[in-house]
Amino acid sequence: MKDNAAGLGQTLTKGPRTLINKKLLKNQRTLILMGIPFAIYAIIFCYVPLFGWIMAFQNYKPKDGLWHSKFVGLLKFKRLFGDDVFLKTIRNTFCMGAMNLVFGTVCAIAFAILLNEFWTVKGKKVVQTISYLPHFLSWIIVTGICFDVLSMDNGIINEVLVGLHIIKEPVIWLAHPKYFWWIVTFSNLWKETGWNSIIYLAAITSINPDLYEAASIDGAGRLSKIWHITLPGLKPTIMILLIMNIGNVLNAGFEVQYLLGNGLVQSVSQTIDIYVLKFGISNGDYSLGTAAGIFKSVVSIALIAIANFGAKAAGEESLF
Amino acid sequence: MSKRRSLAAFAAAVFVMSSLAGCGGGSTGTPATTTAANNAGGDTTTAAAAADTQAPANNDAGGDATEAPAAEPAASGDIKEFTAFYAVPGNELNDGNDVEEIIAQKIGARCKQTWLTGQTADEAIGVMIAGGEYPDFIDASTGSQQLIDAGGCIPIDEYWDGYDNLKNFWTEEQWNSVRAEDGHIYIIPQFGNRWMYDTETTHNDEAFWIQVRVLEWAGYPKITTLDQYFQVIEDYIAANPTMADGKTPNIGYEILSDDWRYFCLENAPFFLDGYPNDGCIIVDRDTHQAIDYNTTPTAKRYFQKLNEEYKKGIVDPETFTMKYDQYISKLSTGAVCGMVDQHWDFNDGELAIKKLGLDECTYVPLGIVIDEGVVEHYHSPAALDVSNGVSITTSCKDIPGALKFMDDLLSPEILTLRNWGVEGEDYLVGDDGLYYRTDEMRANANDQAYINKHLCSYSYFPNYSGMDHDGINAASPQYQPKEFYDSLKEPVKKCFDAYGVETYVQFLNKAEGTNEPWYPMWSWSNNLTSDTDEGFVWANMAEVKHEYLPKVVMSDDFEAGWDEYMKQYSSRCDIDVFLNAANAEIQRRIDVANGN
Amino acid sequence: MVERKDQIQDRVVRSTKKAEPIESRAKSAEEITGNQSLFSRRTTGDIIFDSINTVIMLLFTAIMLYPLINTVAMSFNDGLDALRGGIHLLPREFTWKNYETVLAKQGMADGAKISVLRTVIGTVSSTLCTALLAYVLSRKNFIFKKPLSMLYVVTMYVNGGLIPVFLVYKSLHLTNSFWVYIIPGMVSAWNMLVLRTYMNGIPESLSESAELDGAGHFTIFFKIIFPLSMPVIACVSLFTAVGQWNSWFDAMLYNRMSDKLTTLQYELMKLLSSVTNNNANVETMKNANNVVTPRTMRAAATVVTALPIVCLYPFLQRYFVAGMTIGGVKE
Repeated sequence: MKDNAAGLGQTLTKGPRTLINKKLLKNQRTLILMGIPFAIYAIIFCYVPLFGWIMAFQNYKPKDGLWHSKFVGLLKFKRLFGDDVFLKTIRNTFCMGAMNLVFGTVCAIAFAILLNEFWTVKGKKVVQTISYLPHFLSWIIVTGICFDVLSMDNGIINEVLVGLHIIKEPVIWLAHPKYFWWIVTFSNLWKETGWNSIIYLAAITSINPDLYEAASIDGAGRLSKIWHITLPGLKPTIMILLIMNIGNVLNAGFEVQYLLGNGLVQSVSQTIDIYVLKFGISNGDYSLGTAAGIFKSVVSIALIAIANFGAKAAGEESLF
Repeated sequence: MSKRRSLAAFAAAVFVMSSLAGCGGGSTGTPATTTAANNAGGDTTTAAAAADTQAPANNDAGGDATEAPAAEPAASGDIKEFTAFYAVPGNELNDGNDVEEIIAQKIGARCKQTWLTGQTADEAIGVMIAGGEYPDFIDASTGSQQLIDAGGCIPIDEYWDGYDNLKNFWTEEQWNSVRAEDGHIYIIPQFGNRWMYDTETTHNDEAFWIQVRVLEWAGYPKITTLDQYFQVIEDYIAANPTMADGKTPNIGYEILSDDWRYFCLENAPFFLDGYPNDGCIIVDRDTHQAIDYNTTPTAKRYFQKLNEEYKKGIVDPETFTMKYDQYISKLSTGAVCGMVDQHWDFNDGELAIKKLGLDECTYVPLGIVIDEGVVEHYHSPAALDVSNGVSITTSCKDIPGALKFMDDLLSPEILTLRNWGVEGEDYLVGDDGLYYRTDEMRANANDQAYINKHLCSYSYFPNYSGMDHDGINAASPQYQPKEFYDSLKEPVKKCFDAYGVETYVQFLNKAEGTNEPWYPMWSWSNNLTSDTDEGFVWANMAEVKHEYLPKVVMSDDFEAGWDEYMKQYSSRCDIDVFLNAANAEIQRRIDVANGN
Repeated sequence: MVERKDQIQDRVVRSTKKAEPIESRAKSAEEITGNQSLFSRRTTGDIIFDSINTVIMLLFTAIMLYPLINTVAMSFNDGLDALRGGIHLLPREFTWKNYETVLAKQGMADGAKISVLRTVIGTVSSTLCTALLAYVLSRKNFIFKKPLSMLYVVTMYVNGGLIPVFLVYKSLHLTNSFWVYIIPGMVSAWNMLVLRTYMNGIPESLSESAELDGAGHFTIFFKIIFPLSMPVIACVSLFTAVGQWNSWFDAMLYNRMSDKLTTLQYELMKLLSSVTNNNANVETMKNANNVVTPRTMRAAATVVTALPIVCLYPFLQRYFVAGMTIGGVKE
């Protein structure tokens, strides 16, 4: 195992600086010994189960198990990519994932910073505690409230917009495909902004207070301090989370879309996960689900590889 | 730039693949893996061993019973413990549930039942098959065929001699239709078996429903066609824009289209043509050929009617965005005049209406057809569903005990306990031998906490509907005629009198004799998997209908909307593949029934 | 950049000497951002900023508060009555019934015990292991830094699927075992990367000087890096603890047959899922003959499960909300 890893290391980090030699190995004996169990752990718990990926190339039947199911080659992939419905779900998943990523990140950072600037300590504590709690509500509760808010009868959104004469008569928000992604994005923001901001709050604590002090003496205003001190201090955390979440763009989930969606907006609401559930799992076709999973994994890894490369090129914090 | 990026992506993919190949092969034999396994194993032997006995250790005296030799009947005081899993959502009972305990004392066995949670049936059964560990009893629901194919069930017919209640539960002919291809019986369908005759008072299935107040206002007219049905609702709404409170606006018609519940939207055409609920197709009674009900002239007329009513504002404009919760809450206010639905599906809404004391807003079923002269067939006799049932698994260590358990559950005394509860606590017996319940008892029977600690119906073990074995009472309280009358309120009674009926079922044609041999075809379509051609078509049909039917109903130009729908439907669903498969299944069922 | 690093180093050294890093840091933060700071002269800009910020925070709080109050109101409302909708801030038909049903559910006590155990053991072990891995991977010259990082990064995006994972766990004798709650979650790649990023920001000179003093990696990790990473450690433990506390799928999948290993959340899921299964079909629902599990009971279950986290929260919160400790508890 060690040799194997060393080999990989060599091929991947060719450079005079990290050239592997006996002396280095000896110096880093403890670190290597510490790393080995972790490598083994990852292999057992994350990589060994990947033998299940052969399902995607079979017509998997539980009775035959993984070893005796019939091999069908790329048939499942052909079925997926030959299906317009699936291609649409890729678009939907990607767009909702991207909107979620962009707005989610911006809002969480903005909230963390504004909260950090809030002038009373008690207030900070209270606002922070309230803001993270919606994370504990299940989607079924959150979407239930969404339906109330968007309702035609006495939903607050329609009432306010009609009251302000922005729209003439109540709109059935969930019947129009053009609004759907926004509704999903806002629901996500509502539920997760507070929770996601926790990590940025933690990162803010690592910023040296002396910097603020110095800036104040120089006469910098609050906004300029945020811009020149807080944000740069957060940059490594932002970069890492951004890169990781870019890889998650295709995991835009299925619960919220499933719970808010309906036949009228089906063409924009279905995500890959919903498709897999509908055409794969609930119809007993495991192979199709596995094929879609492999597709998602490959795209995710490609995306983070690109993002990571970009971050590195720009001299920012990167994953590997 | 873009070239570079794609290269990087490709490199990453290759790296993943290569690391997989390398690690997957190398890791199996490494000493570290074994150590990890040993550690994990060492720490958990006790837990694993406890679980191996199948019956989780219980504090009761009977904990050891399973280890007793299986062939010997349990000595009195020893209670056998079985486990069961049902791949359907359900309500878990508390340990030491009163009725479960009484039954255990009487028959010397009890069964811990668990239900599907957060998975699909196929998924849950798939994992069990992969792991090769089952509970003693299982109802695999849509995973039944998988389980049988995987050899997870024992052939019950090889063991069942001497367990007559069970063996005679179905007739020879009916058992034949349950037999697998190898001629053995692996599953025991538990539902749809009628003892003596039906006393059904409520129509639990699908119909066009209409509120009592609407009928009263219209002077209790005779309503048979689609046009008449909507005319009455239109007139009512025109005369009564709001409910009695003067505030809540009345809603003419709701169409639920949430996920699998969209049958409320899509399956009315076969009822309108006078066919029973085969679910996926119409079966021609003469030629025995499958007909696609989605493209019949009736279907087009039905959706055109819905489109007209939508434009007139009779159909709730929000109707297609509703989830089940919203639908029930709209119904619960009592404002909705009518809809197509199965009664069990909106029962909660009706209970809420009754709670508000708005009994005139409850519903009666109507057997609506497309044209005068068509004979409606909404109500079918209880049907034997050959695709689902309870099985004894190969993990069961005491097959005779398991069979005896099921057999005992079918004895008259135990049946009454399962269905009615405990005399004096859950029901009282009148001088005439008729069972009845007080209001408190009725409330208890609907209280989940009470059910969990007190009632135990073993609902997924074989059970009878129709009459109790005493021949006096109905098999269970909801079918007891007297129980039913006691719960009727004045406005509903008035309506019943006006139409000269005594039960909800009498609003519809009587279910005659037995069902056709192929009925119900939904037991076939429910088990289709999308890796077969017909299954893929079936999934695509649902997909297209889900999206386009609401659009058709809402379209400004119906013809254009319908044409677009038909275009999508014919291009995305190869309907002949589906019909051919259905025909083959119909023929197979007819052959089985004829004993071939 | 260079200047900033020096300053951080300076501060960190100062903080470690005092062995009260959080408090001192918090104090300084308060001095800067608080209104009673050294700079008592607030500019017009400050006042405008604070006013706008206050308005935003109040709005935000109101929006966030509504679903919470609504859920609590629901949990105290009669189930059948709630079906009608229209319950916002107060229950319409008050009842304790939902809580009674939820708390009377069989197995809640056993489940709660296991849930607490897995949360405590799982969080401690996962945080320690993950932090240790993050430490290893934050060492600048570690020769396997890149391959090992990659090995873990990839795990975030690949998944063998339900059945293969089940088979692996079964062969490791993790099924029907408490350890299935702990061992598979021992290292989280996501948390590791967050921790590593934070550790990367800790000046290397600190560990270098410790190394010169003869400290090994374990000493450096436990004595210097771990304490200095407290804010983000608190944050990661919170994520892990919440994940552990809320998860039920593993209990259902791997310990279905073991009554004694059930968890609180799984018991609640069983209670709630009797009518909410997404993929039921007409016939199952008809035969299931269920009693309604209304929204109100779901709301009560939500309150019951969220409450322990809410109570635990202040203990973790002070680590990552700067300026918290001044008004609050002092050590």
